[in-house]
Amino acid sequence: MTVHNIYIFDRMGTLLYYQDWNRLKNSGMTKEEEAKLMYGMLFSLKSFVNKISPTDPKEGFLYYKTSKYTLHFLETPSGLKFVLNTDNHSQGVRDFLQQIYKEIFVEYVVKNPLCNLNEPIQSELFKTKLDAYVKQSSVFLTKSM
Amino acid sequence: MEDTLLDLLHSEIINYTLQNGDEKDKKEEDLSGLEYIGFSTGYRIIERLTKEMPRFKDELDTMKFICTDFWLAVYKKQIDNLRTNHQGVYVLQDNAFRFLSRLSSGKQYLEAAPRYVAFTCGVIRGSLANLSIQCLVTAEVQSLPSCKFHIQVQRM
Repeated sequence: MTVHNIYIFDRMGTLLYYQDWNRLKNSGMTKEEEAKLMYGMLFSLKSFVNKISPTDPKEGFLYYKTSKYTLHFLETPSGLKFVLNTDNHSQGVRDFLQQIYKEIFVEYVVKNPLCNLNEPIQSELFKTKLDAYVKQSSVFLTKSM
Repeated sequence: MEDTLLDLLHSEIINYTLQNGDEKDKKEEDLSGLEYIGFSTGYRIIERLTKEMPRFKDELDTMKFICTDFWLAVYKKQIDNLRTNHQGVYVLQDNAFRFLSRLSSGKQYLEAAPRYVAFTCGVIRGSLANLSIQCLVTAEVQSLPSCKFHIQVQRM
């Protein structure tokens, strides 16, 4: 089981934060372009899922899976979007994302008066806390690749 | 939740006082307003905290109260280290000061640190004033989130 990378977007689609751990293949474009592409895809997927749903879509789009990886998506009521790519065996990633939001993002970004919301996160403390949190989690167990 | 409220309110008070400060002296931020808000807060909170306590023996006893009960009530932890030269100078060291703990762990944002300790300097000064100790309180931050408060007692 392994974590590949994380994206955090705000309500307007600004990329607040990006970090990768075990990313084996690059998209071949700049980070900004990639973030736009990612946000656009999520936006479309969300509306697609909600439109096409035959029943009342409570939470809407949660994740998608390919043969190689799974993309997990968490949107908070305030419109923040947490996107985490893992391999296909990871479990409990949704709770894990919720924890990242609650224990790392709220603690070290929202409660840091020097962090402007809706701007890319510069705080070193946030960076180290998130890195440590992901690395000690059960989702993050690097396979020898 | 009430802890969060205090943290957020505290940072907004700082923003507010800095915005309203005079623009004439740009390089040095005027934190005296902030310190005074702290002073009145500290002066009043002492009445509430000590209402069921016996009187303090001496100055050192009062300082110990500030480091333990008082700090616990306001900042949810005790002061990590108290030092004195027994001539009216006390140094209170907090290794994880609440208002700095979410900013950074190291040198990042060091230049903004004085804003976040000014209020507390006032709180200490106000509390001691109400316990009939007149003093000067300054703070020193070398590396976040640790902070030292220097208390210099004014002898009459």
